[in-house]
Amino acid sequence: MYAFEYQRAGSVAEAASLLAKNPEAKLLAGGQTFIPTLKARLAQPSHVVDIGRLKELAGIEVKGNVVSIGAMTRHAEVAASADVKKAIPALADLAIEIGDQQVRNRGTLGGSVANNDPAADYPSAVLALGATIVTNQREIASGDFFQGMFSTALQDGEIIVRIVFPMPKRAAYSKFHHPASGYAMAGVFVADTANGVRVAVTGAGSSGVFLWKAAEAALTKTFAAASLDGIAVDEGECIADLHAGADYRAHLVGVMAKRAIKKITG
Amino acid sequence: MQPSRREDLRLIAGHGRYSSDWNLPNQLHASVLRSTHAAARIARIDTAPALAAPGVKAVLTHLDVERAGYKSIVGGVATKDKNGELMKKPFYPILATDRVCHVGQAVAFVVAETPEQAQDAVDLIEVEYEESPAIVTFADARAPGAPAVHADIPGNLSFVHEHGDEAKTAAAFAGAKFVTKVRVDSQRLICNPMEPRACLASFDAATGRYLLHAASQGLIAPRVHLQQITGVPATDIDLIVEDVGGSFGIRSSPYPEYMLSMLASKTLGVPVKWTGSRTDTFLSDYHGRALSLTGEVALDDKGNILAFRWEDEIDLGAYAGPFGAFIGTQNVSIMCGGVYRVPSVFVRSCLAYTNTTPVSSYRGAGRPDIAYAIERLIDQAAQEHGFDNLELRRRNFITPAEMPHTTAAGQTYDCGDFPAVLEHALKTVDWSGFPARRTQSEKRGKLRGIGLASYIEAAAAGAQPKDQTAARVAADGTITIYCMAGGSGQGHETTFVSVFAGVLDVAPDAIQYRASDPAFAMIGNGTGGSRTAAGQGSSFTLLAQALLAKARPHAAKALGVAEVSYAKGVFSGGGKSITLKDLARQVAPADAGTHPFDSEAEGSYGATYPNGCHIAEIEIDPDTGVTDLLRYVAVDDLGNILQPMIVEGQVHGGVAQGWGQMFGEHAVYDRESGQFLTASFMDYPMPRAGWLPNSGHFDRVPHPVPTKKNLLGAKGVGESGCSGSLPALMNAMMHAVRPAGVKELQMPVTPAVLWRALRDARAKAA
Amino acid sequence: MNKIEFTINGKKVATQVEGRTLLVNLIRDELKLTGTHVGCDTSQCGCCTIHLDGKSVKSCAMLAAQADGANIVTIEGMADGDKLHPVQQAFTECHGLQCGFCTPGMIMTAASILKDHPQPTEEQIVKGLEGNLCRCTGYINIIKSVHRAAELMKA
Repeated sequence: MYAFEYQRAGSVAEAASLLAKNPEAKLLAGGQTFIPTLKARLAQPSHVVDIGRLKELAGIEVKGNVVSIGAMTRHAEVAASADVKKAIPALADLAIEIGDQQVRNRGTLGGSVANNDPAADYPSAVLALGATIVTNQREIASGDFFQGMFSTALQDGEIIVRIVFPMPKRAAYSKFHHPASGYAMAGVFVADTANGVRVAVTGAGSSGVFLWKAAEAALTKTFAAASLDGIAVDEGECIADLHAGADYRAHLVGVMAKRAIKKITG
Repeated sequence: MQPSRREDLRLIAGHGRYSSDWNLPNQLHASVLRSTHAAARIARIDTAPALAAPGVKAVLTHLDVERAGYKSIVGGVATKDKNGELMKKPFYPILATDRVCHVGQAVAFVVAETPEQAQDAVDLIEVEYEESPAIVTFADARAPGAPAVHADIPGNLSFVHEHGDEAKTAAAFAGAKFVTKVRVDSQRLICNPMEPRACLASFDAATGRYLLHAASQGLIAPRVHLQQITGVPATDIDLIVEDVGGSFGIRSSPYPEYMLSMLASKTLGVPVKWTGSRTDTFLSDYHGRALSLTGEVALDDKGNILAFRWEDEIDLGAYAGPFGAFIGTQNVSIMCGGVYRVPSVFVRSCLAYTNTTPVSSYRGAGRPDIAYAIERLIDQAAQEHGFDNLELRRRNFITPAEMPHTTAAGQTYDCGDFPAVLEHALKTVDWSGFPARRTQSEKRGKLRGIGLASYIEAAAAGAQPKDQTAARVAADGTITIYCMAGGSGQGHETTFVSVFAGVLDVAPDAIQYRASDPAFAMIGNGTGGSRTAAGQGSSFTLLAQALLAKARPHAAKALGVAEVSYAKGVFSGGGKSITLKDLARQVAPADAGTHPFDSEAEGSYGATYPNGCHIAEIEIDPDTGVTDLLRYVAVDDLGNILQPMIVEGQVHGGVAQGWGQMFGEHAVYDRESGQFLTASFMDYPMPRAGWLPNSGHFDRVPHPVPTKKNLLGAKGVGESGCSGSLPALMNAMMHAVRPAGVKELQMPVTPAVLWRALRDARAKAA
Repeated sequence: MNKIEFTINGKKVATQVEGRTLLVNLIRDELKLTGTHVGCDTSQCGCCTIHLDGKSVKSCAMLAAQADGANIVTIEGMADGDKLHPVQQAFTECHGLQCGFCTPGMIMTAASILKDHPQPTEEQIVKGLEGNLCRCTGYINIIKSVHRAAELMKA
């Protein structure tokens, strides 16, 4: 790790001002991706601003037909939350599939979404459920938020405060774990929402999380796994690496989508 | 409470002492600059910016190593080829000289006050590399016009080893009714003990001696190698090792950081500590396997084996590592007939250099590879020529009546009952019930397969001429026993003490084992080749007998009789008795000098031939290519079993490593750039919890046929799990996918690989 | 430098750390509690698992400064004097360790599994161990150890 100055912010406002003061400062949330990145010397921040324990960024709240989750809520809390399990069980099912027990005890929703790793799980739920990303400056619709691998609509100094998930009519997540890293090799979040059926795919797309429009159209007609027969994501849009070809990932997306649908339809 | 193993109490409490747990006052910390190129000339190294960095005390390069007179890292074999030539072996530098030959090769060694300062300074060293083309596979290394890894080694060919009778074998093939040929790749692996390497060296100027803490499998080979490299007499190197977090073959010889820490400590006058990372493990621990074997079998019309013929391709990596060439010559050839009556064999192994990390022993070191190849070949031959795969084995097994049996490859198997072991395994797994189980799987849309392997391996005779042991008796009557074999999970403390206490017929409480004591300057083998319990254990039997022989006259004197009898730790005579322990206290010298019962013993114990039949039953999800290992049966003839729990653990671990090689592990280099692509746990899939069947579906059944080649009747166990599992798993895999049209697979059969094979087979059929 | 205070194995510690000091390095190098191990650089292996405010975490993926105010338990704090923690006892009973390097992390993780699931299923154990690597045992006896620990804790 390169040397840096550690600062613990007492509030979101203080964190924002620390970021503003130091252009090379970086936020530290749960640190489960960021700290290994620092250890590998792949980042060299001047300052690390810790927002991990800010009370104003924590907690899960169900209000009407939305679930609002603070950005620093740990994956384990989402996975174990009775409120989440009742309101959007698929979200709790997703959270339990992230990393491992120890990672889930530290890693946060906000950290995962802000990082937008193309193989992270949460972006698929945010996109499929049409969640709203609330920052210290504004509200961003999920459709505008993800802008390709590791890239988001967040501006310098902008901090995710909470994410507001509308409750779907029904939803499910199915994931194929990368055999080494445990990240998604293909993860599909299927949601039947007030705004129609949405199918978000993570782990497979070479531009990060995306909505699988053809599947959405087919499922809108008939919400059944068989509706996806003969439909496939474009291999050309999928990641190919030494672990798996684009063809395999494209195929897995179909399999995981069907499995997610079967979780819903039984 | 009583722990299962004597080593457990400290390990479960966090009180084990591994390499990086050692510290000394005033120690400095080191970090290594490693090559980022697979093949390059080093035009310039500028260490000045690093030397000027905060806390930095020294930056060593090859110039410092040369100035110190340090020589090549030790490796290779001394055998000659059929033209009488030795293997071509480049100088293997501790730090790269004017060129680098693989990614991760050590280039410079920075010593600073803190580990962070050392790491920061590594980044400041300026190295100008002039890149040249790299080759990372055997085939590319041997292709016409391939770039030379070492300018003076044409065709990158180090050695051609031949074994067996070429003409007789060719004649057998000429007269054969059936011939089957199979190529198997045993891909390059990372051994990955959970403990990354670390060392702490301290030079004492007053005595001229070095203290070295570094993970090691034994106490002789590393010190002898250190002597050959550094010129420091082995007797001046106190290698102190307590706990070792796994070794699996790659920690039997010293690595560059150990010599560099010694040199830096001598130069700077303070102890120097280096703590490696997992990245260091991936890049610079010796790699495993990296060979391909092409086998042919010749059969007569009834299915009698007439001959085996082998063409082996051995990737040594960039240099001759400690055991790479030994694996590629001796270990893949001496067992190349397996458990079968084979009149004639011939092996030709080509050993080549590539721009990759050098290869050395990894659990089995060539023995699992040849066992895998033989058992694939037998299954394939049965398949191709319409034989039942069990009948073909039964027909050709060497039977107990034929023991001892000298094979065409020159090994003499002393004992074993291969036919009975096979039947035992078939019964355990309910082989005949498989078709019904397959039907059940098919109903669920799954492919099911069952495969078996009748393996045999040669557990090593050992590189040292004998195994010496010693006992030192303290004034309070407690006994410490010593030998040169260091443990790394095998439970030496438990097994050796149990053997020794067993002969004395006393409770083991007052006896402890220590891996060596440099002051004794004993000789004996390090841990390796699955021979330690049988070899050293036998010497401990002799040691206990020697101690009793020494104690007996003292007992007679103490009891005032001419003759004493001994049982359960008690000498008796003339109606009186005294315990061995009380006697030891009574006769202890007042000045804590040599105790009269202090004893030494030694013995030489040759190879044993552990064998067995492993059966795997798998189920494949064709939608994802994921394979589930539903059931595993390991019926092993390991001779007499000394510690059933430990033996079971060894089998579990060996099978798990076989599972890893079969289904996922692969050290991959980029063919163009020579970059190492799988250098972390993020890209190198390690077996995880739940991937093997649980204890209810994993049957480990002993079928002992005790050997007379050592005093305990024990055969080796440590590596048998790999030798049995690779062929059993692949035979099960082929059995499952053959009906779907898949004709060939190579390890690792990852979900992606398997899915594609099934898809391609479907496309071909359509 | 950052001033931090925390409790470790029941003892209060006050010290100063660099921003980049990892919690595991503080525990091992300064506090000399070397039972917590470092097995990788990518927080995959779990050898460094400790309990932080009652939850299992990887101490190699935390800055020491983040532990300010925390209550930490390491492997050295699991036994009650000479009395082993039931998970420790189960690991030796079931031969759930060979080289022992992964063992402290395994024991800390197993204790967390049993906190969440006092009578765990096989699946819950396997799921709970997904962040811990072992190269020696094939995990069979580790899983057995967790089952056994549940029995011991129930008794």
